[in-house]
Amino acid sequence: MTIKLLLAIPLILFSMYVLALPKYQLLGKLLILVFVTILLLFALNPEFSTLIANYFGVGRGADFLFYISHLLLFFIAFRFYLKNRELETRLNRLVQQLALKDAAEHNRADRD
Amino acid sequence: MINDTYIIVPAYNEEKIIRSTVEGLQQSFSNIVVVNDGSSDSTLQILRELGVTTLTHLINIGQGAALQTGISYALRKGARAIVSFDADGQHQVSDVIEMLGVLDKQDCDVVLGSRFLGTTKGISSGRKLLLRAAVIFSNLTTRVKLTDAHNGLRVMNRRAAACLNITQFGMAHATEVIQQFQAAGMRIREHPVTIHYTDYSMAKGQRSLNAVNVLLDLLIGRFFK
Repeated sequence: MTIKLLLAIPLILFSMYVLALPKYQLLGKLLILVFVTILLLFALNPEFSTLIANYFGVGRGADFLFYISHLLLFFIAFRFYLKNRELETRLNRLVQQLALKDAAEHNRADRD
Repeated sequence: MINDTYIIVPAYNEEKIIRSTVEGLQQSFSNIVVVNDGSSDSTLQILRELGVTTLTHLINIGQGAALQTGISYALRKGARAIVSFDADGQHQVSDVIEMLGVLDKQDCDVVLGSRFLGTTKGISSGRKLLLRAAVIFSNLTTRVKLTDAHNGLRVMNRRAAACLNITQFGMAHATEVIQQFQAAGMRIREHPVTIHYTDYSMAKGQRSLNAVNVLLDLLIGRFFK
């Protein structure tokens, strides 16, 4: 019983926080609500996840969630990696332009 | 003195060797551009003393990026030919002059230095094997048949330099450069050069394990923009 509370309370608090953020539109908020509801279902009624797990050929609900969360986390990490690469590219372009601009100004100063 | 050719020397923390490298080049060339890639040692100070054109990256962003900065600069200054030359003292000025002679014959746009056509001093057998593997990889992915894929000594005419847009800021640029030359239909030639592997250049250069990173950079660069 304790684990159910430990999972459910942060989940509810977190969803309340996210829903209060102004950046999500109505559709986004609905999606979050659906997602949180599903997670709550998993937390409060573990048999539900076992049911789905069995459908996918996995024995235990907890294992199934474990696999799914790995996939999800990998996907998120990869997106962060790409984002990071893009930022790095932009930063590098900036540094290069600064170097060229600096050199151009030096040249002008030399001629004067 | 050769003054229509710009020598691009990317330099990152090269205080021990940059003076002799630049002074060697100054014997024959009047347009030397050192790209100081965010060095944290006294490289910049030494360059000021030498009175050589210096472009400075405020932070260290990689050799490929430094090369591109130098090339962009040289193109703006109206260079007819552009040379990339390593700062660590492994290249010979006499090789550059020979390669410029090859370029002058007008039957190619790019002359790449090859240590495997020439002589290499002080190379370890493990390093040799790795470089061979890099050649095989490069040949598989670029359709240009080369004997040396990661040589920092390149001579290119203005047309070839203008078709470069290096996005591999790290060491993977060596392969990217060849791919871009080829995509633009540039005629590439190799020329034997002498590489001096010194303790300094070995310590400064890439660790062999970096090959894994280079490979990853190239693969990811190909599939994700």
